[in-house]
Amino acid sequence: MRDSQKLRLFLLVGLAVVALLLVVFGPAVLGRFSLNVLTRSMIYAMLALTVDLLWGYTGILTFGQAAFFGVGAYATAMVLMHIGASPSLLLLAFVAAIIVPVVLGLIVGWLSFYHGSTPLYATVISLVVPIVMTQIVFSGGVWTGSSSGLVGYDVLPLGLTGFFRLTGFCLLVLAVLAIVFVRSDAGRLLVAIRDNEARVAYLGINPARVKILLTATLAGVAGLAGFLYANASGVVAPENTGFVFGTEIVVWTALGGRGTIIGPVLGAIGIDYLSASLSGDLPFLWQLVIGGLFVVMIIVLPGGLASLVTRHFPRGKGQQSLKAMPTTADANGTDRREDVFVSIENLGKSYGSLAVLKGINLDIRPGELVSIVGPNGAGKTTMMRCLSDGTEPIEGTVTINGHNIAGLAPEGVVSLGVGRKFQVASIFDTMTVAECLRMARLRHVTPSFTRSETEIALPGPAAEILQLTGIAEIMDRPVSLLSHGQRQALELAMVVALEPKLILLDEPTAGLTKAERTTIGTVLKTLTAKLGFAAILVEHDLDFVRDISSRIVVLHHGKLVLDGTVEDVIHSEIVRTIYSGGAHV
Amino acid sequence: MNSKAILLTITSIMLATTAHAADPIKIGVPVGLSGANSVVAPSVVQAAELAVEEINAKGGVLGRPLALEIADDASGAAGAQKAFDSLIFQKEVNAVISMETSAARNAGLPIVSKGNVPYIYTSFYEGRSCNKNLFVNAWVPEQQVPPVVDNFIGKQGAKKFFLIGSDYSFGRGMLSFAKSYIEKAGATVVGEEYLPMDGSDWTAIISKVKSAGADAIITSTAGGAPNVTLTKQLRSAGVNLPYGNLAVDEGTAKSMGGDANGIFISASYVTGIDSPENKAFLAAMTKKFGAELRTPNDLSVPQYEAIYLYKAAVEKAGSVDTAAVLKALPTVSYTGPRGVISMSKQHHAPLTMYLGQVQKDGSVSVVQSYKDVDPGNQCPNL
Amino acid sequence: MTLLLDIISTAAILFIVAAGLLAIFGVLKIINFAHGAWLTVGAYCAVVTTELGLNPWFALPLAFILGALLGGLTERFIVRPLYRRPLDAILATWGLGIVIGQLITLWFGRDVHFTTALMQGTVDVLGTSYSFYRLFAVLAALAIGLGFAFLLDGTRLGLSAQAVIMNEALARALGIDTEKVRLATFMAGAGLAALAGVLLAPMTSVDPNMGVPWLTGAFMLVMVAGTSFGALAVACLLFGAAQVVVSTFLSPILGGITVAVLCAITLRIRPKWFARA
Repeated sequence: MRDSQKLRLFLLVGLAVVALLLVVFGPAVLGRFSLNVLTRSMIYAMLALTVDLLWGYTGILTFGQAAFFGVGAYATAMVLMHIGASPSLLLLAFVAAIIVPVVLGLIVGWLSFYHGSTPLYATVISLVVPIVMTQIVFSGGVWTGSSSGLVGYDVLPLGLTGFFRLTGFCLLVLAVLAIVFVRSDAGRLLVAIRDNEARVAYLGINPARVKILLTATLAGVAGLAGFLYANASGVVAPENTGFVFGTEIVVWTALGGRGTIIGPVLGAIGIDYLSASLSGDLPFLWQLVIGGLFVVMIIVLPGGLASLVTRHFPRGKGQQSLKAMPTTADANGTDRREDVFVSIENLGKSYGSLAVLKGINLDIRPGELVSIVGPNGAGKTTMMRCLSDGTEPIEGTVTINGHNIAGLAPEGVVSLGVGRKFQVASIFDTMTVAECLRMARLRHVTPSFTRSETEIALPGPAAEILQLTGIAEIMDRPVSLLSHGQRQALELAMVVALEPKLILLDEPTAGLTKAERTTIGTVLKTLTAKLGFAAILVEHDLDFVRDISSRIVVLHHGKLVLDGTVEDVIHSEIVRTIYSGGAHV
Repeated sequence: MNSKAILLTITSIMLATTAHAADPIKIGVPVGLSGANSVVAPSVVQAAELAVEEINAKGGVLGRPLALEIADDASGAAGAQKAFDSLIFQKEVNAVISMETSAARNAGLPIVSKGNVPYIYTSFYEGRSCNKNLFVNAWVPEQQVPPVVDNFIGKQGAKKFFLIGSDYSFGRGMLSFAKSYIEKAGATVVGEEYLPMDGSDWTAIISKVKSAGADAIITSTAGGAPNVTLTKQLRSAGVNLPYGNLAVDEGTAKSMGGDANGIFISASYVTGIDSPENKAFLAAMTKKFGAELRTPNDLSVPQYEAIYLYKAAVEKAGSVDTAAVLKALPTVSYTGPRGVISMSKQHHAPLTMYLGQVQKDGSVSVVQSYKDVDPGNQCPNL
Repeated sequence: MTLLLDIISTAAILFIVAAGLLAIFGVLKIINFAHGAWLTVGAYCAVVTTELGLNPWFALPLAFILGALLGGLTERFIVRPLYRRPLDAILATWGLGIVIGQLITLWFGRDVHFTTALMQGTVDVLGTSYSFYRLFAVLAALAIGLGFAFLLDGTRLGLSAQAVIMNEALARALGIDTEKVRLATFMAGAGLAALAGVLLAPMTSVDPNMGVPWLTGAFMLVMVAGTSFGALAVACLLFGAAQVVVSTFLSPILGGITVAVLCAITLRIRPKWFARA
C-alpha cells in the first residue's frame, strides 16, 4: 500500500514536472502549427477538466460547460470589440469573463438542483442552456456578430509562444489544483454525492447547494478558458457556445477516462490535436469513428483509456487512525429530560386514495428509546420518512426541538438534531470506512481543501460502536468489502457521529448475527439511557425490542393502537391478535 | 529534322522539366466538406480542380505549376481555425482561395493576417468584411437585392412586401438592405420576421403573412433545410404571392419539384448564361468529371474564376510575394463564365446579375440581366 | 381562427414527435438521445419510398417496422448492458445518434431530400383556408394518442407496461417479465419516432440533421409530462399554445425557445404539477 502510494505520488509529481518543461520549452521545438493547435487544445482540456469534476466525480452529466465557455469568450470579445482594449479594459474583460458565467452558473444550478430533482433532469437542462445561449448569440445583431461571430478586436499582446505558455501554465495550475482538491477531504464530498446523494442530505449537508456552488465555480473556470480562447484565437463564434461543442467535451472526457482529471485532460488534447491533423482528410469518417468508439467505450470500458493505466495503481490511502473525542455525559442535556423533543400531532399520510398513516399522536423525550412495532404495511417506514423529511406532504404537524419541520428538506431536519439510519445500510460505496466517517463529521469539522487528514476524531459513542464491532481495525478498507453486519454498524456509527439528539433506526438488526445484535443493542441502550439521546426504532424482532426499549408503540393499518411500557405492550391482547393476524382495530 | 527544330524540342523539354522541377505554387482551399456547406463544397472543389488543371496544362504560373491543398473547415469557426492553421502554417500555402460560411471566414481571418497570405473569398455574403489580405469576387446584398425588388415593383406592381429570414448575419444583412431599398423605391414593408437558424416550424410567421395583406414575399433563409421547410410550408398554406428567394440556388430549386415553381432568384451565375466562356467552361467540366459532375453554381464558378484572378495577379507582380500580389489583385481582371471580373471596388467586384424564375420542370429561365452592378461602398478604408 | 388552428396543429405535431420518447421514458426511465436519429431514419424511409416510386403511404408501415427493428437492436446491445448506469445509457444513445447520422450522411449524402407529399392543398375551415396536411397531423396525433390508450389499457403487454411504469421492482416480483416489457417498449418507442419522421417529412426538409431541432422541445415536454400520455397531451397543448402566441405576438425567435424555457421553469417551481393533472 505504502509503496504504491509513493509510486503514485512520484508519478504525479514527475508528470507535473514534465508538463512544466513542455510548457516552458515547447515553443523552442514545436512548429507554428503545433503551437497554435496545442494552445487551443489545452484550452479545451480545461473544459474537459471541469466536466470531469462535474460528471466523473460528482455524477452530474453536463453538456452545459460549452455555454459557460462561450459566455466567457463572448464577454471578453464584446468588451474588447465594442469598448476597447486598453490594459484596464482587458482587466475588465477578464473579470467579466469570469463573473458573468458564474452568475449564469448560479441560475442554471438553481434551475437544475433542488430537493427531488433527478440527475436526468439536470442533464436535460444542461442541454437546453447552450441551445438557448446560441440563440441569444444569433439574435445579438452587431453586439454578438450573430452567425459570423466577432473578429478583428485587439487582444493581449502575447504572440503565439506567449499564448502557448500562458494557456499551458493555466492548465497545469488548474490540473494540479483539481488533483489536490479531489484527493482532499472536501473533495471527497463530491464523490459522496455521486455515490449516495440521499445519504449526504441525511448527514446534514445540502447536496443541491454543493452542486450549485460547484456548477457556478466551474462555470467561472470555463469562463476563464473562454477569456483565453477569445484572446488566443482572436475570434469568437456561435458554435463556441453550442451544445455540439458541449457534447464533444463530454466525449473527450469519456474517452480519456472520467474521474481521473489527467485522463480527460490528455483525452481532450489528444483527440483535438488528432482531429486537427486528420479531419481534413476524412471529414465524415472521423466523426463516425469517434462516435462509434464512444459508444463502445461507454459500454465496455466506462473508465475510459485512463482506466487501462489506473487499474495497475490501486488507490492507496495513508494509514488512518481513529481518535475518540472525550464524551460529556450531559451532551444531550440529561437535566432536560422532561422537555418533549419530538411532538407528532395528528399525523396522516396518504398516497392517492390509500391512507398509510392516520391521526397519529406521539411525544418523545430525551433518553427514551421508543420502538415502533406492527405487521408489514402498518406504516412504520412511512412514519420514519415523515419524521425525517419535511418536504413529504402530510396532514398534521411534526415538531422537532420546538420547530415545525414542514417544508424542511432532510438536511434541515438533520440540523434540528435528527439522525436517520436506513433499513438497507446507506453508505458511500466507493469510499473507505474512514472516508465515510469523515463525511459524517463535515457538519462539525470544516474539511481541508488541500489535504487528507490521517487522523479522524469521532464522538465517544461513535468510536465505541466501531471498536465493539471491530471496524476500528479496518479503517482503510473500502466499504464495498465490508460484511452486511459491518455495513450496518458503520452506518450507525456515521449517524451517531452526527451528534444528533434523536436517532431514527429502521430495522438496524435485520440480517445480523446474534452477537452483532447484542452489540448494537448495548450501544443503543448506552446512547439513550446514559447519554440522553432519544431514539425511535422500527423493529420486527420482538425479543430485541423487549430487551432495549423504554417504550413501545404499536401501529396497525396506519393507526397508533397502543403506546405504553414494554410490560404493557407485551402482555396486551391487541398485540397478540395483531400478530396472529386477525385483528381489525 | 534540322538543328533548329532539335534545339526547339530540347528547349521545350527543358522548359517543361524546369517547370515540373520548380516548386509548385500552393493554393489552400479550406471548405466545408462536412457541416452545412458540404452540399455545395464538392462542386467548389471540382471547379478549383478544373482551373488548376487548365492552368498547369498551359505551363503554370511564372513557370511553376499550381497545387491545391484542400482542408475541411466543417462549415464553422472551430473547424476553420484548424483548417487555416494547417494550411498556412503546416502546408505553407502561398494563398487561400475559398468558399466558406461567414463564421469560418471570420475565424480564418486572424490566421491569414498572422501568416500574411492573400485570401480570396469566393462566396456571396452579407458584406462589409474588410481586411488588407482579403478580396471578394462574389456578390453582396447591394448587388443581389435590387433586381428582385425592381422587378416586383415595376413588373408585378407590388406595393407591400413581407420579408422572412433566418436569424443570422446573412439573413439579417440581406433583409435589412432589402428593407431600405424597398422603402427608397417607394413601396412599404408590412412585415419582417425571423426564425432561429435551425428552426423548422414557420407556422406563426406564415399566418402573419396571410393576415398582413402583403403582395410580395422576399425570403433570405439559411441555405438547405430552413429554405426548403419555409417554401414547403408556404406552399402548403396556399400562399401564392410573387416570391423572391434570395437563398435558393438552381440545383435546390430543381430538386424541390412543384413547390419551387414560380420562385424568383437573383444570382451572378446561372448555367444558362449564353457566352462562349460559359459554354467552354461547362464543356470542360463535363469532360473532366463526367458522371461525377456536380452542377456548377453561383458558389463554384467564382472559385474557378478566383484562381485565374490569382494567376493574373502573380504574373503581374512577377512573384508570389504577398505584398506584391496584394498590390496587383485589385488591378487585374479575368473574363470567365460570369463575364469580366475584377475586384477593383474596395476589394469587391462589380458583377453582372441575373434575375431568374423557376419553371415547372425545375429549370431556371433568365427574366432579365443587369450589367456591372456596383457592390457599393463595402470597405471605404481599404 | 387561424391562431386556434395554429395552436391545435402545433400541439399535435409536438405530440407526434414526443410520443415515442415518452413511451421509452415511462418504462425505462431514460431519455433516448438517439430520438432525433430515429426521426431521421423514418424520414429517409419516405425518401426511399419516393425513390422507388411506391405509394407514399407505404412509408408509414416501413418506417415503423424499421424503427422498431433498430430500436430492438439498440435495446438489446446498448441499453440493456447499461441498465444500472442510466446516465451512461443516455450517453451511449447519444453516441449512437452520431453514428446513425454519419451513416445516413455517407449513404445518402448531406443534401436535402424530397419526398412525395402525402396530401396537398388547403381546406376551408369556417371561412379560413388552412393547410390540409396540418389538419391531418391533428388526426394523426389523435390516432397515436388513442392507439396508445388502447395498447396500455386493453392489452396484456400494456397492462404489464403500466405495472413497470408504476413500480418496476414490484412488477418483477409479480412475475412480469420486465426485460420483455422494456424491449417491447423500446421497439414501440423507436418505431413511433420513425413514424413521426415520416409524418414530419412533408413539412420539413429531409437531411441527416433534421431531427436535432425537435429534440430539446420534445425532451422538455417529456420531462414535464412524466410518464402519462394524458399529461403529455395537456403539456403539448399548453406549451404549444404558448409557442404560437409568443411567435405571433412577440417574436418567432423567442417562440423557438419558449417550450424549453417554460418547461424548465414549470419543473423548477411546480415539479409535480403535470404528473398530478
